[in-house]
Amino acid sequence: MNPNVIRMIAGGLANVVVVLLIAPLCEGILRKVTACLQSRRGPPLWQPYFDLLKLLGKEDIESGESPALQRFVARLALAAALTTACLVPMGFPAPMNGAGDIILLIYLLTLCGICTLLGGLAAGSTYSLLGIGREMMTMIALEPLFAIALLAGAVHAGSFRLDAVLNGSVYAVPGIPWSGLILLVVMGLSFQAFVQRVPFDISEAETEIMEGPLMEYSGPKLALFKYAQMARLVIHSALFAALFVPWGSGLPFPLGWLLFWAKVLVIVLVVTAVAATHARYRIDQALRYFAGLLVVAFAALALAGYGH
Amino acid sequence: MKAREKLDQLKAKLGPAIRRADIPSDHCLFVFVEASALKAVCEYVFRDLDARFITSIGADDRSFSGSFLVAHNFAFDRDHLLCSILTEIPASQPCVESISTVVPAANWAERELRDLVGIELSGHPYPKRLVLPDGWPDGVHPLRKDIPWNFVPDDYDDEREFKFDEPPEGCTVVPFGPFHPTLDEPAHFRLYVEGERVRGCEYRGFMVHRGIEKLAESVLGYNDIPIMAERICGICGCVHNVTYAQAVEAAAALQAPPRAEYLRSILLELERLHSHLLWVGLACHIVGFDTLFMQAFRIREPVMWIAEKITGNRKTYGLCVIGGVRRDLTPALEDELRQVLARLETEWQAVTAAVLQDRNIQKRTRGVGVADRNLVKEAGLIGPVARAAGVGIDCRRDHPYAAYDRVDFDVITAPDGDVWSRLVVRAREVFESIKIIRQCLDKMESGPIQLEIKDELPVGRLGISSVEAPRGECHHFVITGENNRPRRWRVRAPTYQNLQGVPAMIKDQQLADMTISLGSIDPCFSCTDRLETIDLRSGAVKVWSPEELLKLARARGIAAESSAKESDES
Repeated sequence: MNPNVIRMIAGGLANVVVVLLIAPLCEGILRKVTACLQSRRGPPLWQPYFDLLKLLGKEDIESGESPALQRFVARLALAAALTTACLVPMGFPAPMNGAGDIILLIYLLTLCGICTLLGGLAAGSTYSLLGIGREMMTMIALEPLFAIALLAGAVHAGSFRLDAVLNGSVYAVPGIPWSGLILLVVMGLSFQAFVQRVPFDISEAETEIMEGPLMEYSGPKLALFKYAQMARLVIHSALFAALFVPWGSGLPFPLGWLLFWAKVLVIVLVVTAVAATHARYRIDQALRYFAGLLVVAFAALALAGYGH
Repeated sequence: MKAREKLDQLKAKLGPAIRRADIPSDHCLFVFVEASALKAVCEYVFRDLDARFITSIGADDRSFSGSFLVAHNFAFDRDHLLCSILTEIPASQPCVESISTVVPAANWAERELRDLVGIELSGHPYPKRLVLPDGWPDGVHPLRKDIPWNFVPDDYDDEREFKFDEPPEGCTVVPFGPFHPTLDEPAHFRLYVEGERVRGCEYRGFMVHRGIEKLAESVLGYNDIPIMAERICGICGCVHNVTYAQAVEAAAALQAPPRAEYLRSILLELERLHSHLLWVGLACHIVGFDTLFMQAFRIREPVMWIAEKITGNRKTYGLCVIGGVRRDLTPALEDELRQVLARLETEWQAVTAAVLQDRNIQKRTRGVGVADRNLVKEAGLIGPVARAAGVGIDCRRDHPYAAYDRVDFDVITAPDGDVWSRLVVRAREVFESIKIIRQCLDKMESGPIQLEIKDELPVGRLGISSVEAPRGECHHFVITGENNRPRRWRVRAPTYQNLQGVPAMIKDQQLADMTISLGSIDPCFSCTDRLETIDLRSGAVKVWSPEELLKLARARGIAAESSAKESDES
């Protein structure tokens, strides 16, 4: 077998394992820091691992409209997240480089959102449907933002290859990288929504629509959805770091690797702090906010097209 | 001389309709009117004299006067006067003209007396079952004196379902409750939703009835009832307890000693403190701002500890009895209370400063759940909901009780009537409560804390009392009776009125605003649902069949009855 293919598969698997191992830890850090901000003691760091194990060991209750689809979607959600992980550099260049490009990456990111939609649709309860209504509106306004950021990078790099784009390519122009800086701000302002945290956890909003799409899920299926959500936090943070905070990625092995995960940790901490100090927005308020960002993002893409 | 003045006005306008009147004090007026003129009198009082509707009471008085009693209570807040319009209805034909068409706020109270006492209402705009559980047979009215307190009807029909109204065209039905993360207690709103907008709703509550009024009228004694009354609510225990005691004291013309009055005021304000802190926390939780939720609860905790030191209970339970209070404050406790207040004041100043400038919270609460002056009047809304709409009513000032006539404080109002205004009002009221407690501690003189009651309480007297609970006016109505217990005791908790304003508040709003709009009245379903019978349909139906539950309930009922008999005998 071609050694390149073996390296690709091994690298992809390594990313999957790393995400599976680290995602609950990031969630644990998020919970612990939130607790500190709220004058609480908080659960131990490894509590999310126990939570997942506990949920996985519970009885699998079929409570929705179409159980077969629900079972499938719960698996698909985590699978989509983990496949995305194969395309994202995590301390090393993206392992599936060459096998996939950023178009595939954009598709996979959208698939993660679609899993939530399908999950809610398959469950079919009133609150699930309300939740996917909100999720759908959010997706339409939100998904283009990441795509635009990636495309702007691709325009600058002149390539759709993962290693070319996911290495700070948004700044890769002579002179001041206006489009990159604008997109950095836009992505920063919408990042909470990508990882579905307060103030943009609208489609799940426990106190309004009782977890929306996830309402009918319990036990192992809920564990898979939760795992996918935790993975999403890590993967999006990694993507953000690769695209917008590339500095130091060329350092030799343990240093570059450590620096990368330090960046991810900082992003997780920022997400935590923002989530702990905000109230949830209403869907109409959020949509207006995203629409504004979208206009700015398109302007940045145009700038990128003219080489700024 | 306000009571006299109002009576003269009534007599001048509707002279022949008025049978007799009683003015026990200058702040209290009972008018007995002809049943045929009840609606006209109430309309005149509510519209022309601009009184505020409090509640309606039905009583089975057949064994004493041969008739049923219906009372509509009103408050003249500016004149410091509580007024009860009573009428006697012949036992042979228990029917009275509904006043809900002219006094919309009376809608629930009238339906309740129809359900429980069995007085038909002619011309009621919405005569649907309100209180009784779905399977309860028609024509059985639990608050009638010939129905025993542990009565379970043989023809209780488990299969019978509540008939909801048809939703308007183009709307989907979103069931909100009976169990929802932001409802601490069961209540069901059937929301009619078009997209994300709420177009209307139907309410079905009263799912946690505990038969408290019936128990008081048939099993308990005068001084057992305060202990029962404070369990009406998990938050305003002391409020119900004091209101009941004051109603009985008013009926029997008793006066608690001054030190007891100060102690009651202190405890009531402590209760307001912890209630408002809890509410601000919960409101933040509802809009997803959990950090402030946790901080509010942390700041609240010392209030609970000092309450435990004073009363022996974390909650302000077990303090008040008829004629006074049971426990005194020691000088050491007074010092500690002052320290708790000082710390609370600084911490709460920091919180209010942060909250009142927070644009994020304002975005979620401004213009949301609006109850304007008109709705306040029509639905009889009270407490922070009314004050946030610029209607400055507060029983502590308008109908002074305990020691409130001897302390100085402001009635906080806000202009807009939205959730934000309610937040501002509650946040600022915390400082007024601290001010009141400090003045009470300064002015309180040593002396007895309980009145010695040597004689049996007189029979057949009427007493009413209003207390400003954290959520609004709490109102109790008592008719004294034989066997050391009241003949009729009616409780009207603040949520009972405020909940009736919710459908108007949430209409044409975003569904996302439903929870915070409902939360903004600080609903207390246990207060509202205090009444008759156990809902046999609730519970884990998959484990227990309804028949099993029924059997269990009956077995328990019989056991409770026999143990009650034993204790009576001993």
